[in-house]
Amino acid sequence: MSNFMNTSKSKCLLFAIFITLVTFKAYAYDVAPIDMANADHKAKVEEGQKLFKANCAACHKVDQKLTGPALKDVWTRWESQEKIVKWVQNSTALINSGDAYANKVFSDNGKVPMPPFAALSNDQVVSIIDYYIQAEQSGKLTPAAAPAAAASATEAAPTGLPWYIWVLIAVLAVAAIALYRLSNRLDNLVRDTQGSDMPKDGSIVKYFNKKAASIATIIIIAALGYFTARGAIDLGRSKDYTPEQPIKFSHKLHVGQNKIDCQFCHYGAEKSRHSVIPSATVCMNCHRYVSKGPKYGTREIAKIYKASGWDPDKAAFVNKPEPIKWVKIHNLPDHVYFNHSQHVKVGGIDCKTCHGKVEEYEDMKQFAPLSMGWCINCHRQTEVKFKDNNYYSIFEKYHDELKNGKRDKVTVENIGGTECQKCHY
Amino acid sequence: MDNNKYWSSSEQLYEADSYKEQAQRELQNETPIFDYVESATNVENTGRRDFLKVLGFSVSAAAVATSCKIPVKKAVPYVFDNTKSIPEMVPGVADYYASTFYDGSDYANILVKTRENRPIKLEGNTKAPYTQGGTSAKLQSSILGLYDTNRLNNPIAKGGKNISWQKVDSDISTELSKIAAAGGKIAIVSNSSASLLMSKAIETFKAKYPTAIHVAYDPISAYAVRKANSVTLGNAIIPTYHYDKAKVIVGFNCDFLGTWLNPTENARKYAAGRVPTKENPSMSRHHQFQSHLTLTGMNADYKYPIRPSEEKATLAALYNAVAGGAVATAKTSVQKEVEKVAKELLAAKGASLVVSGTNDVDIQLLVNAINATLGNYGSVIDTSVAQNIKTGNDEALAALAQDIKSKAVKAIILVDANPVYDTPFAEIFKKGIAEAQLSVSLNDRADESSSEAQFICPDNHWLESWDILEPKTGLISFRQPAINKLFDTRQAAESLMVWAGQPLSAYDFVKENSVGVRAGVTPTEGNTSWETALQLGFIQTTMPSFTGTANAGASVAAVSNSGTAASGLEVVLYESVNIGDGRYANNPYLQEMPDMITKTAWDNYVSVSHKFATDKGMHIMDSAKEINLANVTIDGKTYTLPILIAYGQQADTVAIALGYGRTKCGAAGDNVGRNLYPAVKSVNGISTYNAKDVKIEITGKKEKLAIIQTYHTLMEDNNLPGRPKRYRSAIVKETNLASYKKDEKSGNHDRDEIRDHLTTLYPVHEKQGHHWSMTIDLNACIGCGACTASCNVENNIPVIGRNEVYKSREMHWIRIDRYFNGNPDNPNTTFQPMLCQHCDNAPCENVCPVNATNHSTEGVNQMAYNRCIGTKYCANNCPFKVRKFNWYDYQGNDGFGAWNDHDKATYMINDLTRMVLNPDVTVRSRGVIEKCSFCTQRIQAAKLEAKKDGRPLEDGEIVTACQSACPTNAITFGDRNNTESQVHKTIFENGRDYVVYEEMHFMPNVHYLVKVRNRDEEPELYFIDKPGKA
Repeated sequence: MSNFMNTSKSKCLLFAIFITLVTFKAYAYDVAPIDMANADHKAKVEEGQKLFKANCAACHKVDQKLTGPALKDVWTRWESQEKIVKWVQNSTALINSGDAYANKVFSDNGKVPMPPFAALSNDQVVSIIDYYIQAEQSGKLTPAAAPAAAASATEAAPTGLPWYIWVLIAVLAVAAIALYRLSNRLDNLVRDTQGSDMPKDGSIVKYFNKKAASIATIIIIAALGYFTARGAIDLGRSKDYTPEQPIKFSHKLHVGQNKIDCQFCHYGAEKSRHSVIPSATVCMNCHRYVSKGPKYGTREIAKIYKASGWDPDKAAFVNKPEPIKWVKIHNLPDHVYFNHSQHVKVGGIDCKTCHGKVEEYEDMKQFAPLSMGWCINCHRQTEVKFKDNNYYSIFEKYHDELKNGKRDKVTVENIGGTECQKCHY
Repeated sequence: MDNNKYWSSSEQLYEADSYKEQAQRELQNETPIFDYVESATNVENTGRRDFLKVLGFSVSAAAVATSCKIPVKKAVPYVFDNTKSIPEMVPGVADYYASTFYDGSDYANILVKTRENRPIKLEGNTKAPYTQGGTSAKLQSSILGLYDTNRLNNPIAKGGKNISWQKVDSDISTELSKIAAAGGKIAIVSNSSASLLMSKAIETFKAKYPTAIHVAYDPISAYAVRKANSVTLGNAIIPTYHYDKAKVIVGFNCDFLGTWLNPTENARKYAAGRVPTKENPSMSRHHQFQSHLTLTGMNADYKYPIRPSEEKATLAALYNAVAGGAVATAKTSVQKEVEKVAKELLAAKGASLVVSGTNDVDIQLLVNAINATLGNYGSVIDTSVAQNIKTGNDEALAALAQDIKSKAVKAIILVDANPVYDTPFAEIFKKGIAEAQLSVSLNDRADESSSEAQFICPDNHWLESWDILEPKTGLISFRQPAINKLFDTRQAAESLMVWAGQPLSAYDFVKENSVGVRAGVTPTEGNTSWETALQLGFIQTTMPSFTGTANAGASVAAVSNSGTAASGLEVVLYESVNIGDGRYANNPYLQEMPDMITKTAWDNYVSVSHKFATDKGMHIMDSAKEINLANVTIDGKTYTLPILIAYGQQADTVAIALGYGRTKCGAAGDNVGRNLYPAVKSVNGISTYNAKDVKIEITGKKEKLAIIQTYHTLMEDNNLPGRPKRYRSAIVKETNLASYKKDEKSGNHDRDEIRDHLTTLYPVHEKQGHHWSMTIDLNACIGCGACTASCNVENNIPVIGRNEVYKSREMHWIRIDRYFNGNPDNPNTTFQPMLCQHCDNAPCENVCPVNATNHSTEGVNQMAYNRCIGTKYCANNCPFKVRKFNWYDYQGNDGFGAWNDHDKATYMINDLTRMVLNPDVTVRSRGVIEKCSFCTQRIQAAKLEAKKDGRPLEDGEIVTACQSACPTNAITFGDRNNTESQVHKTIFENGRDYVVYEEMHFMPNVHYLVKVRNRDEEPELYFIDKPGKA
């Protein structure tokens, strides 16, 4: 919706007026227009909005059937407001009373009864309807027409120079040097023919004597050695590894924009050694309702539906699920034991410490080198929650030292966190 | 103490030259590098150019290999069936399911540990009423059976043709109806079963086909016990024996700690009465009359060798001495001992126990008569709780064999039974199954019997099955699947129900019958709902108990004769503790477990007495492990077996283990050892496991045997050349109960002396926080090997095969060393579990050139596999010989070639079998040393839980794999810095506590407790050739 909000306001207004004109005629019972300038109306609408999000949004959408029917123009379908209120407060009672429309709604929606919301007062239910009416009036609930196009226009510009530019620069540089030498020769030739006294050798080589050449060679060899060693040490490491994934899942959208907590999906981080790559079932918690993405529309989300066996038309899991084969990014060697819960739950380490600003990653990448030096370094510097966690009460000496000021902190290393068999077994 | 000689092998006993030479070397074998190079290049002299070529190739190969692109790995999340409710499963967190282990002779309530929904370990259920968390080596290793590649993947028809379940069901049902209509007999042949589902299936089957009969048999039978009880008690039951309530236990050829009638439960109860403490310095006394050496006999305080044929006369003499009766008896060679034992029994009336493991009705009747006379029924022998193990009926089996021979049986259905291999009627069954009108096997593989059958309808593995078992009266134990079916198999009982025309899912049966499985019975534990019962794994109910009294007179009157004395050699055919009756033959874990008598793996052998070997001049075994082969002739049939000494065996008895020599069990177990079942005879319908008039002829040929431990030279030995002649303390320490009562430190006095003199040049590292330690009670340890088996599974220890074990390369992190002392004709035995001692002054740590092994601040000797470059210096320098080197890539996890054992494909290097690996433990590759880590993965996991809860770690939270498996609670692990912990109390307060090589100041973190024997006299001193030096 937010994308739609960004588009021109006048268009928006026109559209809303159009919708209002079309829809007003269809009301089955009288609905007073909502005036948001009126403080009473406004308060009511705001209350309705809150109540809707808290109670209804899990099963109802505007123009799409979820568990419950789409709520668009709901008042056009019921004969009176009282009936809606009754339905919301106790749908089963209404059905049992023999109400024709209530029974129709019940049977149209797979005979899944709507849970009773007896706690909602009449006024509260009305306020929810008011919120809907107001929202439709202002056009906020009309389906977004062009979000995908809008998003694609904002695609990030490439940050660095592309590789072919570099090749071009290199070719041109070589050509420049060659041309420079050629022109020198030609100059010399001209001077020769003219019988000038100017020095014959005008090439760059003349600036190099033997000493300088040997120093340069040593520097080059040293540099080569340095980079070879660096490269050799980094063999098998894959910092910044950003493979293409089977689904164009964007952490930027989910974490950055939608503010979904890391552990909503990576639910193992506090419980297990694995943070857990969520199964498609976890995706479906939300994507049962969110069937369109801002960038790729339904294309990528359809892959989740396939993986979980969901049929969006039938709104049910009917097909055989197939796993999504993600490309693994963080590959620790088999002889390293790493436990997420130790770091997240006990250590209270922020996910970003090792995974970087995930909320800005369009494509997930490996942020940390995951080298042993990197691990050890952190273990040397990081303080353990020595005073807060009663487990550490057995380290009496450290507690005494902390008390009498001999020690200002206890690091992971101090309690044996850099010993071989803490990670290798 | 220092002149009390202990030995572990014949070479050591006689200080043979080969032993002295061996003792100078630290590793058993030279590095076979030159053999290898020669065989690899096949040139006699590797020249300089060849060397350069090889060098060049390896450098460039290494360069190419390391510069390869990092492979792209996939991360595939779980797929859940969204139409069903999703079970909560967090990858990386283990789930446990309660289940029941039952194999006909042993049962235990267990928990199945699953990771990512695959079973990886079995643990004892500590809440279980009888086994109380105890396990056995067989139980621990049986998890591998689930991933056995030799299991059938689907039903097959004769000739190995695949067939669908639908077709096989219709074919079998049609044929069964025809046979039943014509009045032909249908025989269901099974082993022991305690399954209520199977009982129902068989009843239903019989109702549908009235000509059907069911015959249950046991390959190694205890039918005589039932038959004798039908006389004594008027009820053919096997009662429950409370070894913990007996002050005097007398065993007659009865291996109740190893194989006889639920050894797991027996071991726990036995050990409960065998550990004296300062507060309660008492223990039971155990006498054993034995023909051959058994695990139980080796734990006895007094051992009396008797011939197998003498057992009946000895029991009759004991009855006479106890009851003052006058049963006619032949003379027994141990009359004096019998009278002494009788006196002790009479002094402990109502609190004593006599048991015999011989499958002979007369013997069992005499045993019953003695127990009845002593008033042990009701106090030590509980007849109200019958054991539903060994439910087989030998006489029914013999009758069935007759019926099959006379072709009266038209259809044979095998349910978990292999009669072609393991009955005295193998030939009859083989022909009968092949020629029957219909023959169906429900076994899980095409074994010796199934391969003769027309159809094989493979059963699920029990870890894939639902079931209700009643191993004991009133104990309703559940089985629930811990994994989905791996193959297209079907539970045997379900198959029978289908053929009976009443398909029934095992799940429905279990659910319907779980609560109130017995009408009118109130559960006392694990009651209420289906979920809680299933979660606990069992329901304990009080059952209307059998209320008969034991009738001694009737028992004695029923004894047919009192036995006749024999001359010449006799043979005992016994059940091996590891392989059992042969059903575990295809389990490489168990094949590689050394047996506790001779420490031999991967083979059976004929064991002879020390006297026999001395007479034949074979008393010193070849240290190269090339063992004499002997032709053993029993009843005219000759079997060729290697011949080994069992110290303590009766002089005129030889013994051979059953369960070996299978031909169709699978790749690991086929043709391992020799099959001795053909020597088992059915005498008057009772299977008999010993024979007279045996001939042994030494062939002069030799065979290489995979023998473990005998090459170690741990024990002090000042007579070795090059060893300093100075004081060394014993590795195992012992005392007797009388001395212990007087002085808690009896047998352990040198410890204080030594500790007064200890000092060190190294700085002492303080252990703030935790200081892990383990204590092992030598009194509780019975040497069963459950710890070794459990460690194997927990720590991904490879199976290396017979050839590699022969080369002394076995990989077990914990081994059971066993030492003899005293008279080699009848010595005392001590078992000592030996594992990395985690020395605080570790000799291995100083010599590592790359610091791959070092010490942690928690007192653990750490091993970083990826740092290890394989110099083996640490293994050389380890005084305990507990460091193991990976000579090959035994687990086959890299592409540079697996090891060269001829049958490597049979072990754990295929994808299916690898599913058993523990994902929390690194799989080691070639060229690194490995050893016990104190189950560091369990330590870390328990610490993490405590940290998450923000509380101090409590004692008992960390249970190592060996500790959890131990049926006798011999092993305790904990933090010695925690003054409340059990290990702290043992180490600092128990007078029996000692460490091995105390005088060397290694400061091990594994402590042992002095073994106390309940003997009247001090341990026997015995010297072969240097008595003067004592």
